[in-house]
Amino acid sequence: MAEMQNSNPTILNVADLPTRNRAAQKTRDSIPEIFAATPDLVDFLSSDSEDDDLLEEPIDEQEIYDLIKYISDPEHPISLGELAVVSLPDISIKPTLPDVIGSPLQTVTVLITPTITHCSLATVIGLGVRVRLEQSLPPRFRVDVRIKEGTHSTGDEVNKQLGDKERVAAALENGALMQVIAKMMETCR
Amino acid sequence: MSALQTFLLVVEHDKEEAKRIAEGVAQDVEAKKTTLIEIVQQLGEYINDEDPIIRGKAVSFLTAVIKALPPRFLSRQQIQVLTTFFGDRIEDGGAVTGLEHLQALDRFTVELATETAQALFRNFQDLQSRSQTQRFHMGDESLVGVVDLMTGEKDPRNLMIVFSILKVVMMEWDISNHAELLFDSVYNYFPITFRPPPNDPYGITAQDLKDRLQECISASRHLAPHAIPALLDKLDSTSPNVKKDALNCLIACIHSYDPDTVSRFSITIWDVLKFEILNAQEEFLSDLSLDALKGITQRLSEGVSEVSQELPLAQFLKSITKECNEQLQEPQQRQAKPAQQILSSVSSASCVAFVLVVQTVVAPIFTIYQEADGIAKQRALLETLSVLFQSAVDLFGLWTTRKSEVSIENPLIEFKDQFSDVLGQALMGSAKEEFTFRTTALKAFLRLSVLRDFFQDNEIGLFVQYLDDILLKEESSGRGDLKKEAISALAEISKHKPRLIIDITFPAFVATLPDEDDGTNKNYLPTLDTLAQISVERDIFETLFRRLFGKLSILLQKEQPGSPAYPRAILMTLLYVMRQRKMDSDPSVDLYFDKIVVGLSQSVAETASGQGRNQILSDPTVLDTLGRLCNLLRQQQVAENVYSLFSPADNFIPVPFSQGVTADQERTIIISTYLLAGLSKDCVAHIPYTSPDMSALLLDLVQRAVSESAEPATHLAYLRHVALLANKFLSKQDLPIAEKLFDSLVSSDQQTISPEKIRVIFWLAKALVLRLALTTTHILNSLLDLLSSSDFKTSNATARGFAILLGEDDVVSATNGASIRLLFKQRVFTTVIPLISSRIRDVNITGSEGQAADHIKPAHLTALAGILSTIPPDLVMPELPTLLPLLLQSLDLQTSDSVAVRAATLDTLSVIIRENGVAVIEKCGHVHSLVQRLLKTTELKTSTGAVNTPRLRVESLKCLHLLATKQIPDAAQNTSIPASISPLLPEKALVLRSLRAVLDDPKRDVRKAAVDARGAWLRSVDDAPEEED
Repeated sequence: MAEMQNSNPTILNVADLPTRNRAAQKTRDSIPEIFAATPDLVDFLSSDSEDDDLLEEPIDEQEIYDLIKYISDPEHPISLGELAVVSLPDISIKPTLPDVIGSPLQTVTVLITPTITHCSLATVIGLGVRVRLEQSLPPRFRVDVRIKEGTHSTGDEVNKQLGDKERVAAALENGALMQVIAKMMETCR
Repeated sequence: MSALQTFLLVVEHDKEEAKRIAEGVAQDVEAKKTTLIEIVQQLGEYINDEDPIIRGKAVSFLTAVIKALPPRFLSRQQIQVLTTFFGDRIEDGGAVTGLEHLQALDRFTVELATETAQALFRNFQDLQSRSQTQRFHMGDESLVGVVDLMTGEKDPRNLMIVFSILKVVMMEWDISNHAELLFDSVYNYFPITFRPPPNDPYGITAQDLKDRLQECISASRHLAPHAIPALLDKLDSTSPNVKKDALNCLIACIHSYDPDTVSRFSITIWDVLKFEILNAQEEFLSDLSLDALKGITQRLSEGVSEVSQELPLAQFLKSITKECNEQLQEPQQRQAKPAQQILSSVSSASCVAFVLVVQTVVAPIFTIYQEADGIAKQRALLETLSVLFQSAVDLFGLWTTRKSEVSIENPLIEFKDQFSDVLGQALMGSAKEEFTFRTTALKAFLRLSVLRDFFQDNEIGLFVQYLDDILLKEESSGRGDLKKEAISALAEISKHKPRLIIDITFPAFVATLPDEDDGTNKNYLPTLDTLAQISVERDIFETLFRRLFGKLSILLQKEQPGSPAYPRAILMTLLYVMRQRKMDSDPSVDLYFDKIVVGLSQSVAETASGQGRNQILSDPTVLDTLGRLCNLLRQQQVAENVYSLFSPADNFIPVPFSQGVTADQERTIIISTYLLAGLSKDCVAHIPYTSPDMSALLLDLVQRAVSESAEPATHLAYLRHVALLANKFLSKQDLPIAEKLFDSLVSSDQQTISPEKIRVIFWLAKALVLRLALTTTHILNSLLDLLSSSDFKTSNATARGFAILLGEDDVVSATNGASIRLLFKQRVFTTVIPLISSRIRDVNITGSEGQAADHIKPAHLTALAGILSTIPPDLVMPELPTLLPLLLQSLDLQTSDSVAVRAATLDTLSVIIRENGVAVIEKCGHVHSLVQRLLKTTELKTSTGAVNTPRLRVESLKCLHLLATKQIPDAAQNTSIPASISPLLPEKALVLRSLRAVLDDPKRDVRKAAVDARGAWLRSVDDAPEEED
């Protein structure tokens, strides 16, 4: 591997990253464990009720964040979330066609903050995020990945490349590049 | 005078002449004037001479002759004979040269080399027994000879021997003049890249060779100047495996060379390893590097008892702590973490090292801490301190560990008050949502509190106070983990300082317990939970029991006791702790028995007879918990009182044979059942109503169980009671009583059998099948007949019953001494599955001819699901070809009734896939049908109107995920499987397309599972299996 460009970046603690607060949703979980040890007398096959069955949970920013936060940085075995390359406030979901009422089309915008302003891997990271989202979101979502303004010396250049469908497609044909991206996505869970 | 005699005379002073003589003899041999055999025979008298010098000369003669012969003259046989000869004579000078020469000949085969090596090896044992001087005299020549002999060896079998020999040579001989030569001879093989050929004919692994080579390299300190730089150079390699071998070897050297040598290279090693740790690419490499540093520190600490800056150890640590201090300046940056690990490794290596590290590191950390501009930074620093605390615990021990002979004072004492202040402030003085920061402080505080001879009791008491406050006063935030940490911290302290818990925590917690649960709040639950978890220590448990039993007694006396949930929670708390402790060996067990089993059983009887102050002890959930508690406290005198509950006959009517009893009275059977379960088999004579035999008692209980009026809890107690009697207490001769009872229940004239009765049938069947009664097959057949009943209700209830048959039960269990035969599950499985399978096939063939048969197939599939859910997976696998079609048909069920069946099926499928991979399914030819059905089950809106609950959708996605990740099963992962095209490939396009739609599922969990499954198919389903490196 070539010389690292940033060998000592600042790292956030995993426990401090924003997560969905799930425990609060289910009251059942808040009962201390010693009282849960003895089960109530239920038979096998008594249908367990799934009362929140009808409640719809739309795709939100947190969900997008959860999809991309575990992608690893190509330079370090550290996730983009820990490196704060992606962060929750820099993700937005908006209707693609605000004027068409009831249109299911949505656009996800993810702004990327490279760890250093001259990071030559910014494009690769952007591509990685893009590929991950395109593989994981339903077709009605448009994905827009860009470098956050003022965080990269050649941000416009990179954005042009990330926004250009043809160039993205061409990049994804490149075997070596795809290998790097596949490696980045291995840590996704 | 023969040529030999002349040779012996001149060899010492005239080498030329000796050579000429040998050449002369060689010519004779060549010209067939004499033979080698004759020459060897001539040698006879000399080679057995007592003087080793004469022996050496004699052997040299032969060597010289052979040397003079043309290279191709000697035949293979001759070489062999000579090799053996030299091999036997190896201790004499000249033999090695002879071997050396033979080895150079073309006809010297690999096999001969092996023999030579073995000969050498054999003779080295002789060498060991010879005196130092003698060995020394012949050393140089043999040594060089040995090395030359080995050069170029490639066969792993020989290498194993070569390495062993060389190790002995290096350890035992003076090699100072030949260190480099020896080193080169073994280091040529580093790194070992050997891979056993197919079928592994030698049984030698690369690791075996690596281990032996490593032993050679680390054998002598004389090798250090060559070995250490060479190994450090290897760390520049791009292959992680080479680096790993180099590090392992380095560690071996560090542990084997003497401390002075290690010291000489310590700083050089550090300079190289520093990079490996700070810029770790692979975790195992940085772990090994840390081990190496720890090893050096330990070696340098050997024999050191006084701390001084002049020590080589101090010099070594100085460069390390300097680097770490620099990295810790920015504690949030990536390299701070490895710096922390370095400190952890070196500081835990020895007490002296710990003192040296603490002296240079702690004060600077405090400075950065005070100046830190953010909590995240402070947290990282606390973590570093915590690492040092852990080292202190490793070195100085816990309060409970036996006193060690550490003579050095713990250097942390100097900072004790500072630690207490900073940690207290961090834990209690920071904002509540700084959860990770506070947790870090809590853990650090805990380590200091359990560290032997560190804090005073009042200082630990302060910490306990903090923990109490966190648990009692703070609201649970979204991330309630701080409370969890606080509880486990209290539990940890309770092991070391139980008095503090009893004096500080108990009063505070018990004071918050209400007198009754008036329904306004349930705060007592977390309080009891905490108390339960910190009361495992004996003294504390006694306090807990006294306090809680007091609370319970007051409750039982109240006219208005509030909700029964509270007394139940109190009982559960006691139950939880008693289960954690070994009650049999508790000295107070008689007291507990008296108070709980005797006292509370009597109270139950009173309540049942309407004489209680309140109805707490007639609540079924309270009774169930109390029963479990009684079950733990076992004494033989219980037997007579199983039904009378220790009460006089005029106060309380026991359940069996009673007429017109109330529901309250009937409910006491719950306690009776638990008491019965706790009894040993031998007590059967003391159980009431069992003479002359059990038939009347069983019949009475069965009749009560069949009645439709019994409450669910009472009903279950009857069922368990019957099962216990039939399984555990009924003697083998009396078994027909239960079997007849079973037959009479099954062969009822009515067309519909009530669900209650079916449950009785199943529990009775369970009792008999568990002990594998002789009639087991008959019983199972009867059950299957019921399953095929033309009456829908009977068939349906029977189908659900099959899960009871093999299911685990808390009461009829091995812990309660039920007779459970080893192979009963196999027996049931192998009897029932073929019958179910053929029945379903029949239904499929006859189709919809019989109207009544509509429910038969789902019923059989439900029964199958019930059995599969209670059977270990290894039983399932051999039957897979039969089972798989049935499982696929289960997935075809669509109604909401079948949700549980389908869920159980998916469960079974996921186990099958996880354990065996796709291969087994492919073997049965069902990959396509399976994938199709799984995909159908992931659909939210189906064309057929099937009901797929979110749980089903998630489970089927997980199966799809497993399919892709387990293309090669776990068990076969290490063996080489011929590369072939994945059987999943034809399905890939379909799966990816279908899952794309599932990505838009309204449920988040479903979407997550879909993302994972789709990702796995994208990544792993390929033309050829991926090359595992």
